[in-house]
Amino acid sequence: MADDATELIVETQHLTKIYGNRQIALNDVSLTIEPGCVLGLLGPNGAGKTTFLRLVLGLHRVTAGWAKAFGRTMTPNSADLRRRIGYIPTNPQFPRGMTPITYLDYIARLFGLPADVRKPRLATLIRAVDLLPHSGDPIAHFTPGMTARLAVAASLINEPDLLIWDEPTHGLDVEARRSMLELIKTLAAEKTLILSSHNLTDVDEVCNHAAVLNKGQLIFHGTLQDLKGRIKKNHYEIDLDGEQKGITKAVAALRAVADVRQVVLRQRRLDVKLGDDTPNTALLAQLFQVLNDHKVTVISVRTVGMQTEQAYLELVEKEESRGFARLYRDAEAA
Amino acid sequence: MDQSPPVVTVRFNKFLPYWAVFRTDLRQTVRGWVYRLWVLMAAAAAGGFLVYRVGLHREAGLVQSAAAQCGDLLRLLVVGSMALVVVLAVSAVGGERGTLADSVLSRGISRHQYFLAKLHARLAAVVLTFGGLGVMVLAASYFLFKADADTDLSVAGGLAAVVGVCAVLAAVVSWGVTVGALTNGTVLGITVFWLVLYGAGFLLTLVPESYPSPDRELARLKFVLAGQYNPGVLADIVLGSLGLSGLAAAVGLVGFARRDV
Repeated sequence: MADDATELIVETQHLTKIYGNRQIALNDVSLTIEPGCVLGLLGPNGAGKTTFLRLVLGLHRVTAGWAKAFGRTMTPNSADLRRRIGYIPTNPQFPRGMTPITYLDYIARLFGLPADVRKPRLATLIRAVDLLPHSGDPIAHFTPGMTARLAVAASLINEPDLLIWDEPTHGLDVEARRSMLELIKTLAAEKTLILSSHNLTDVDEVCNHAAVLNKGQLIFHGTLQDLKGRIKKNHYEIDLDGEQKGITKAVAALRAVADVRQVVLRQRRLDVKLGDDTPNTALLAQLFQVLNDHKVTVISVRTVGMQTEQAYLELVEKEESRGFARLYRDAEAA
Repeated sequence: MDQSPPVVTVRFNKFLPYWAVFRTDLRQTVRGWVYRLWVLMAAAAAGGFLVYRVGLHREAGLVQSAAAQCGDLLRLLVVGSMALVVVLAVSAVGGERGTLADSVLSRGISRHQYFLAKLHARLAAVVLTFGGLGVMVLAASYFLFKADADTDLSVAGGLAAVVGVCAVLAAVVSWGVTVGALTNGTVLGITVFWLVLYGAGFLLTLVPESYPSPDRELARLKFVLAGQYNPGVLADIVLGSLGLSGLAAAVGLVGFARRDV
């Protein structure tokens, strides 16, 4: 873990990257990542997510501003800082002619790990990511799932404080994706993570913070709750059980409740939209009371649509529609 | 009372990343088809040349000094090897372009360490291989043309010739690795370096005789092999090549550390 609990894991100020005076990939990005944070880095294709990660890793040089990791400025020669970082690129590529054992040994050497540390560690990791039967096979013949598992092992071999994973669930089947998300949840308990992803369901499930990039600009940075709080969806689906007569009566009663905008019954599924004027807790309490009065049982309750996705799309759309007003981003935010 | 697990402090070896890249590159180089083709072609050409000259010498009775024959062979090896040596040198960094950032440079290694490890690995592969080939050619020539060798070939001259050629090759490899690290594509790097190398070699043949040129220096090898050489000139060649190698390394270190990968 980080030496100092208050030490910022990542800090960027006015981080800007322009490739060859042709393409502005990142524009004035300032953010901080604290220990224990699981940051979901969101944005459409070409938003600058990978550029941001590569600048934080020192793989690219900044055009303006700076990026710090563990309180020190990251540069291409900051090997000691990268020793505390585990990285998975979008589509991991491995050197040809290597097996998982030789590759992980090579990576561990690149981190400067002595033999008595790296050998047991690589064996443990190969076992943990379930590559034991393939530990002597050439990596070139691996499936995307096996490649992803090897990339996970490589990113953990140095026991890093910070994990930077660029679309780790990209190209994985359902089972592998589930395993990856469970692993992220486990790692989140003791490490700081930056997770770049297009999949908002993944971010919603494992992250506690979010940063949204659009066309190289940071348009949101805060907790996932803050992001979700930007929209008030108040749209619920409730699966019911009980006599049909009671359900019908309950629906009629609900339609009479003030600030309940829509009540639609489809067989035994109730679709309810609440208004924004009354607190939703009060309205939901009323709704359950009505159901109880008519002896209707609730099987499940869920919000319709995905709040994170909705909030994200709304943010990007809003940013797009602002036109030249984008110049005054800070003033408006304040 | 709860007992917290003991904190294990890992002592990182700062030179291990350098050695990891050096060893891996050396191993991959000697297993690569470019290196194998080079060694095979050089060995086949040297063997064929020696057999042909022995035939001329013994069967046709055409007698030429051992130093002259050996000098011709070394010149043939240098000129013939140059194309593949350039490919070996330029592809050191450029050939890893797809996996370089993701697999290597995102780990605990600095750009300087990586570049130096690659440079030293390719230098070791080329210089040691050519040195070995040169010594074998000299030994074979000595035994095959023994009658002439007694009066003609000199051990010190042979070593001086091999050292001189290896020093020049080291400069070529150093600049090749640097060009490969600073250009965007291996093919582009090889093309640029070939043009520069052969173009410069051709232009140097046009300068007055008092100035050294690769062509003239290679033509003088037969005298060097016979022991007729000036140690001062040899020292100048070695020091000049070392200087050029050092300059290439410095340019590569600075330039590569400033590149996006």
